[in-house]
Amino acid sequence: MIRVTHLNKSYNHPDMILKDLSFEINKGEFVYLSGPSGAGKTTLFRLLFADIKPDSGQIVVDGLDLMRAKVTRIARLRRRMGIVFQDYKLIPNYTVFDNVALALEISGTPRKFIQKTVWKALKVVGVERQLDRLPPQLSGGEQQRVAIARALVNDPQLILADEPTGNLDYEIANEIMHIFDYINSQGTTIVMVTHNRALLQRFKRKVFYLDKGVLQAYVWPD
Amino acid sequence: MAKIQDHIFPLFKLTGNNIRRHPVINLISISIITISMLLLILYFLGYSNAARIVSSWRADLRIVVYLQDDIDAERLATLKSFCRELDEVIRLDYVSKDQALKNFKVTLGDDADFLADLPENPLPASFELFLDSAVVDVNDIERLARQLQRQVGVGEIAYGSSWLRQLFSLLKTVKYFGVLFASFLSAVTVFIVASTIRLSLFARRETIRVLHLVGATRSFIALPYLFEGVFQGAVASILALGLAYAGFIHFKEWLQIQAPQWPFALQLKFFTILPLLLFLLMGTFLGIAGFLLSSRWIRQD
Repeated sequence: MIRVTHLNKSYNHPDMILKDLSFEINKGEFVYLSGPSGAGKTTLFRLLFADIKPDSGQIVVDGLDLMRAKVTRIARLRRRMGIVFQDYKLIPNYTVFDNVALALEISGTPRKFIQKTVWKALKVVGVERQLDRLPPQLSGGEQQRVAIARALVNDPQLILADEPTGNLDYEIANEIMHIFDYINSQGTTIVMVTHNRALLQRFKRKVFYLDKGVLQAYVWPD
Repeated sequence: MAKIQDHIFPLFKLTGNNIRRHPVINLISISIITISMLLLILYFLGYSNAARIVSSWRADLRIVVYLQDDIDAERLATLKSFCRELDEVIRLDYVSKDQALKNFKVTLGDDADFLADLPENPLPASFELFLDSAVVDVNDIERLARQLQRQVGVGEIAYGSSWLRQLFSLLKTVKYFGVLFASFLSAVTVFIVASTIRLSLFARRETIRVLHLVGATRSFIALPYLFEGVFQGAVASILALGLAYAGFIHFKEWLQIQAPQWPFALQLKFFTILPLLLFLLMGTFLGIAGFLLSSRWIRQD
């Protein structure tokens, strides 16, 4: 699903953010990208959906070489994957329904299927009763659920999540993680950025540990 | 067909959302385009009516040849033949002294009472020569007048050549000025609309960012703003045309009341269908042009 080869990234500074990274993530896996602050986690995360470009190296996601791909093909890849952000990135003056439906409309999903598909995605995350609410009217946990619903409404093969529980309390974080577990159990590959050690302990998965831009270790669950 | 609808409908939905959720920005753009269009429409309305009226005057070119009081019948007949044989003359009307006095009484209306006290009719007889506007230029009239002045029995010659020539010259200047004025006004309007759209895009940058992140193409993001520009331009054009029409009707009624003796008030006309459609297109184009100037701001990350 994801293959990274000799990846380097520096933001025009002598200090490299990411140094000679190489790893693979297989289809159906649930993988954490972890490490201390400033390790390069978010940079790597942004590289995986071509939000930024590396200085050198290769990133292949779902068969697409991101270094060589045109803008239109990257847009098409993003429509096939789901992305979840720590700050949710919902459109504040769109209802919950519209926020999730947007992902389907962008994909050209026939109108007759959109309502049902949106409702199903919202039911998976448990906010199907909030269809007409606006994001500012929701709690943090509810907003994150809506963001996850938007990420999975197109039935993606891959979901990237950047600190999805970062702004949430313990109990809500657990609920969110259970949702990701469920999605992964359906066959979707999950790559999650987190520095939350407690989370790593509670929900044990494969961990790529970054420190100072270098992949220090692959940590396997017990 | 279903596929096209599935791609087009979300764009219209986004356009409707944009318009509904940002009414102030839309109002500003529509107001600016309306004012610009109104100025242009009023200019063209004034120019087209002035040109039409002057053309009708030109088609009604005439020279009035006032006759001396002592002209005898033979000389009168000779003079009449001479005038009729001129190539430029298409019609000749003889107005006798009595007819001239009658016409003058009609013109004066209630103020004509003093004419009864005059010892004799002071008004001369005259020939009204109607000229062929297809062959006569304004400059030719002066030459004709000089030729007629040399004839025996002719008193004074009256024609409006000098002011008519000035009017033609003024119209030409107004026409060239109008092209510059229209170009300048259009450029200013497009610039202001583009700036408004750019501000609007800046205000919605987070939304645009999200759209990029969920895989929207540049056209998916940009087209609603293009449609918004079309909407603003079309609405503004209709408003401007409506305001211009209302103003035109009021002006025409006012002119007819204030100056009933001026027949050209009745000659004033509003635009026909084709110019109306062209103005509608022009306003729409201004909206589109404003979008195109600012669309490069919808960039990929």
